[in-house]
Amino acid sequence: MINKKKKRVGIFSLTCDEGCSIYLIEIFNKKLFDWLKKMDLVYFLSIRDKREIKNLDIALVEGVVTSEKDKEYLKKIRSNSKILIAMGSCAINTMPSGQRNNFNTKQLGEIKDHLKKYNFLQRALALKEVVKVDNEIIGCPINEKIFIKVFEKYLKI
Amino acid sequence: MHNNDLDINISKLSKIEGHTDLDIKIRNNKVEDVGLHVMENMRFFNQAVCGQSYSNAPQLVSRICGTCSIAHLTACIEAIEKALEIKPSEQTMILRKLTMYSMMIRDHALHLYFFVLPDIFNIDSALDMPKEKMNLIHEALHIKEAGNNLSNLIAGRAVHALFEQVGGFSNEIDKTKIPAIIKELKRIRSYVIKLAEIFYNCKWEFKRKTNFVALTTSDFSFLEGKIKSTNGAIIEEKDYWNHLHNVVLPYSQASGFEFEGSEYMVGALARLNLNKDALHSNTKKDMEKYLNVFPSDNVYHNNLAQVIEIMHSIDHSIELLEKLDFKKEAIVKPTKLSGEGVGVIEAARGTLYYWIGINEGKVRYANLVIPTAQNLINMRSDVRNIVSDICNDKVLIKKLENKIRKEVEKIIRAYDPCMSCAAHFLKINWK
Repeated sequence: MINKKKKRVGIFSLTCDEGCSIYLIEIFNKKLFDWLKKMDLVYFLSIRDKREIKNLDIALVEGVVTSEKDKEYLKKIRSNSKILIAMGSCAINTMPSGQRNNFNTKQLGEIKDHLKKYNFLQRALALKEVVKVDNEIIGCPINEKIFIKVFEKYLKI
Repeated sequence: MHNNDLDINISKLSKIEGHTDLDIKIRNNKVEDVGLHVMENMRFFNQAVCGQSYSNAPQLVSRICGTCSIAHLTACIEAIEKALEIKPSEQTMILRKLTMYSMMIRDHALHLYFFVLPDIFNIDSALDMPKEKMNLIHEALHIKEAGNNLSNLIAGRAVHALFEQVGGFSNEIDKTKIPAIIKELKRIRSYVIKLAEIFYNCKWEFKRKTNFVALTTSDFSFLEGKIKSTNGAIIEEKDYWNHLHNVVLPYSQASGFEFEGSEYMVGALARLNLNKDALHSNTKKDMEKYLNVFPSDNVYHNNLAQVIEIMHSIDHSIELLEKLDFKKEAIVKPTKLSGEGVGVIEAARGTLYYWIGINEGKVRYANLVIPTAQNLINMRSDVRNIVSDICNDKVLIKKLENKIRKEVEKIIRAYDPCMSCAAHFLKINWK
């Protein structure tokens, strides 16, 4: 049976190097057109300007939650998505993008003005410290095989 | 008289690398301010890299930017090798060239097909391409895949490459895979010519006088040579910093660089303007028509220049892969553990400079100049000029807002800025 209703998918970057989403675009090389039969890519700023965060079936999120702004953005994504998947080690355990969490006093002294000015959180947080996460894909960047396996599981209706 | 004041805010500019917000303030039909905001996602690499061992530092700086990871890795390794007097083998240099080519193929293709083509076809996304043109996107994926497979073969991965290290490559090349890679690279050549034709016929024009600066290499391999400028400078890599000035931009949070006291541009257009004779002979033969466009002072020709660089990356890679017999080599060890060194390479977006000091095997300091910081002054003044040209006393400015947004995004994309990198190395003006 062919399912006619396509999944609405969004890809989101919090604070990070965007290596996971860039690597995901490499995974697209082989997979994109197959997946497009089953999904609409409704939010992905790297390839689309339209940006409505609404009624998502799957949200793929990379990066750490480093600021109040990240936190609000993530909460908004969560409340508009059925499934939220954390992509990569920053989103799962804060490293490497949350490296400031391990800074010594001298390093923290150097960055404190910046943290204050831009409303950074006391420490950078993993996604699951802020919202419910349905699945995680390890790697820096994401492991290709695991990504495909997990993502295709959710793509099936 | 209309009220011709307008504030335009472009939040999270799309179809570029990384994130930035852009504010344009127009008062009485005049552009008062163009502001870029990139500071909110700071990850503090300046602090994090200090104290790292010389062997860990390249993998750490690779994480500055997913897109440019191979460029950061390679420039950092070069600086460390110069600091510790490590001389990489001939084979290592060839593997580095192949690694850089694999990045250029992928990265330029992503920029051209997914960031720029939608503007040419007047659509939001490459995925919205009309059916009869959708083969272009299939071709884009083939080109990217060829680059990706080359990265996998030589460096282990396209993002945060595993095998490229200080002193050499840690892996042995799987020679059985080379014929398939060569075949794939040959196959995508015709797609690249098709892409060149699109950008050759694209009538976008924004001419401006500027000084173009690039590291010019004898085989156009992005790795080693002298830094030259179109106004005649010839500089050793190690002396580059002496010719740069960090300038705080008025009314902005950011600062950019001037070269020898004036604004300048780095990137593919600069490389083609300064060094097109060094391109691969097959590229020169098959792209002669497009090469005749250069030297050019049309900023939009940066796009065509990138297409030509994809072709060169393909052609030189094919030659190197066909010619060479790769052997397993030991990693070259440092002869000393303290010193300082400079590494300059051409990243996809332009000249990337690393100056690293090492003390007893640990990084003491690192000073980086990234391409986007060098293009910033030009980019900002081009945005200002384009907006000023659109502003027209006779028309209510609010009616021009969409046109302004579109043209501003178009010129910014021509520069192919990388905001993931910029978030760290555009210094901030504390007010």
